[in-house]
Amino acid sequence: MDNFKVVDETNAAEEKSQGLWGLVVNQDVCTGCQACVTACAMENNIPWVGEDDAAYGRQMSWIRVERLWEGEYPEVTSTPFQPIMCQHCGKAPCEPVCPVFATVHSESEQINLQVYNRCVGTRYCANNCPYVVRVFNWYDYERPEPMNNQLNPDVTVRRRGVMEKCSFCVQRIHRAEDAAKAEGREIYDGEVEPACVQACPASALVFGRLDDPASKVSKLTKGDSAHTLLENLGIKPRVTYLPGGSHG
Amino acid sequence: MTEKLTLLAVFADIDPAAHGIDKLREMGVEDDEINVISGIPVTEAMLGRPRKWSNVPRLAAGGSIAGFLVGLFFAAGTPLLYPVSVGGQPLIPGPPTIVAVFEMTMLGMLIATFLGVFLDSYFPSYTPKEYVPEVSDGKIAVLFACPAASEMKFAQALSAIGAESVKPAEAVHL
Amino acid sequence: MANATAVLGQDEHVEHLRKEHLMLDPKPRGEMNAMVMEAMHTTSWKFWVVFAILSVIVAVALFGAWGYMINTGLGLTGKNRPGYWSLFLVNTVFWVGISHAGTFVSALLRVFKAEFRRPFTRAAELMTTFGLVQAGIMIFSHMGRVWLAYWMFPFPTQRTIWPNFHSPLMWDFLAINTYLLASTMYLFLPLIPDVAMARDRSTGWRKIFYRTLSLGFRGTEGEWAHLRIAMNIFAFAILPVMFSVHTIVSWDFAAAMRPGWNSTIFGPYFVVGALHSGIAAVAMVMVVIRANMKNMKYFIRPEHFDALGKLMLVVSMGWAYFFFNDYMVQWYGGDEVTHWVLEWQEKGPAGTLWMLMLVVNIVIPWLTLWNKKIRRTPWAIFTIGLLINVGMWIERFIIIPVSLEINRFPFMWGQFKPGIEVPIFIGTLAFFILLYMGASRLIPLVPVWEVQEGQLAHSVRKFGKETVVTVSDLE
Repeated sequence: MDNFKVVDETNAAEEKSQGLWGLVVNQDVCTGCQACVTACAMENNIPWVGEDDAAYGRQMSWIRVERLWEGEYPEVTSTPFQPIMCQHCGKAPCEPVCPVFATVHSESEQINLQVYNRCVGTRYCANNCPYVVRVFNWYDYERPEPMNNQLNPDVTVRRRGVMEKCSFCVQRIHRAEDAAKAEGREIYDGEVEPACVQACPASALVFGRLDDPASKVSKLTKGDSAHTLLENLGIKPRVTYLPGGSHG
Repeated sequence: MTEKLTLLAVFADIDPAAHGIDKLREMGVEDDEINVISGIPVTEAMLGRPRKWSNVPRLAAGGSIAGFLVGLFFAAGTPLLYPVSVGGQPLIPGPPTIVAVFEMTMLGMLIATFLGVFLDSYFPSYTPKEYVPEVSDGKIAVLFACPAASEMKFAQALSAIGAESVKPAEAVHL
Repeated sequence: MANATAVLGQDEHVEHLRKEHLMLDPKPRGEMNAMVMEAMHTTSWKFWVVFAILSVIVAVALFGAWGYMINTGLGLTGKNRPGYWSLFLVNTVFWVGISHAGTFVSALLRVFKAEFRRPFTRAAELMTTFGLVQAGIMIFSHMGRVWLAYWMFPFPTQRTIWPNFHSPLMWDFLAINTYLLASTMYLFLPLIPDVAMARDRSTGWRKIFYRTLSLGFRGTEGEWAHLRIAMNIFAFAILPVMFSVHTIVSWDFAAAMRPGWNSTIFGPYFVVGALHSGIAAVAMVMVVIRANMKNMKYFIRPEHFDALGKLMLVVSMGWAYFFFNDYMVQWYGGDEVTHWVLEWQEKGPAGTLWMLMLVVNIVIPWLTLWNKKIRRTPWAIFTIGLLINVGMWIERFIIIPVSLEINRFPFMWGQFKPGIEVPIFIGTLAFFILLYMGASRLIPLVPVWEVQEGQLAHSVRKFGKETVVTVSDLE
């Protein structure tokens, strides 16, 4: 039975050498401060939806920090925080269901792309995402002055009717790749930091190349307790979680 | 060269119509010079007429083949032309191809059938034709060609069998 | 007419049969034509009042609200994260379900040579076409950027990209378009002889309209031969299309990786559900037509409601079977998240609706439709049909917005509150009725040539001491 492969891996997105980007979330040191949520919103021109819409579940953060706890109050034994963003699955269930190919798998970065100008807003991808990480532009949201001045020119501003989600700050990946190519070198480990990784005060988020065995990310994913979320679904997410929790 | 006249005989029911057609054949009118117009479909066998050839089934088959090829192009051709990688599924996915091919085959068959009716019946056609409105009231009209000289003979013979009227057919604007 | 009723004389039993069965109560074709034309022309002021009210509703609630939503954004609806799909998809499935009525009546019953279908095949087929129009409106409403909907249409462009045929939504596109085209063609083919009849009996603008529509049809042997063959091909071929359409619609949900949706029985479950709401809708429409249009009491008789009622009962049993299949398998062997969904459906805020659905879809039909007297009473069948349609709407409501409230991350559960979808749905209901009322003024609603064909095929004869109905196969 040694050679028998229960799951046929041939259809998973081909792991090419150019870059297999991945993220590690260390729940043991995450304090739930949500600096990552804020930084992501700044970096990626995420609109503010207002109090009412946010209360109705239309908040548009690409990363959320889930607040979990073990035990009954006041005997709460552990409060792990769980930051969840797009897991950039190798066999993403959101990709085949888009009727217009607005969400596809990137050949070069091995991440899941959202093509804003192709999206027609059927929202099937959002329903099919088991991690519920996709958000939709329900309106054309206004940015009150002077917040419109902080728009990041590297990232498209989306209009109403378009899906969006975490892109692993692909604009930063591209900028680093361009710089490395210009200088004729490889990207060194830690050069690319998505906004959330950069902002985290506890260094709970680590980003890098999973196909580089020397990178910090690769080493962390080899740890005993490292696991992915919803592993039994077999969709090969690129985000690995190291469990733990404060108030241990 | 005998001058041929087209006469139109109106019958109230199927039995007199069948007898009338027999009489016409007795009197020397060829089958392809007879045409029957009715308000409900009367099969050729009921009137003792040769079966009418229709291209519709063959057109339907051709349409289904065309539809099959279009479906195959959509599901298998377009990914080969412009490959986009999605969700760990193979470039040409099996079950979705079957779905697309099935739908397009059925659509091809049905469109071809529909257009086949138009083609075979020369629809739409707005030129004047031999017709009487009594046909849509359930009567059966028999159009036939006979020598002009024997018009009275035919009229009498058919009236004796049960024709309601026998007169020269006029091409009217429908 | 060579009709055996005359031979037996004024036998009381024969008289009863004549009153009961349209097929045994032949009138001269000319008279039936006149009756159908009269039904088409006679319009009371009440008709125009209703027409006007519906037009206002359509203008404001459908096109007005929809236009406003397109301009402002889908935020006006009740959708949120995680409830990305809500009433628009519910209504799409609802309308596609109603549209299966027509095909069922005109194709399935034709294939099985069920003679009672004859007077209402066209009325049912109109429901298919108009129902699919509403389904289309609902699909377009649910799209975020509907002005780019044409990107789902497969055609070569310099954009070097085609639509994604991996997606169930693209199969939906192909299937629903195929079904719409096929049923419109199937509506049109048997309409040609009746429009020719109308042409012969009209003047003025109507005559021009019917003359154009009848394409020069006379009724020659060739024309009838081609028409008959085409209608037979359509009747047989449109059945697999009908089954495939609602199965593909069900795959929008079943193909998704969601708890409660990823069920293999969704295909047949949805098809039977469509038949359930469709046949109920046909019965409702026929009650309304019979009550409001002139001369329809001759064509549509209690025997038709009787037959439809029996079908409604059988399909209700079928629906119960498939519902229980889906429920039982998930309840027994489903994983934890599936059980969360089931519990939410049964005991959550929509629990009353869930219970109501079971009552009106199963309990009420099973308690009433076995009774012949109830089946033959038009208003009773209308009420039961209406309740069934409400129940089937609730079924899709439970499957879509309610199931979407639960997912694998309890942190992301969220409840749904309806928004602008409600007036838009009411607008489509009004639009459906409006289109139907308009069609009833423009085309003959009863296929008179098919009715006459059936009447010629039916006769009574003595079998021993009993007078029995005989049907000949005239094809």
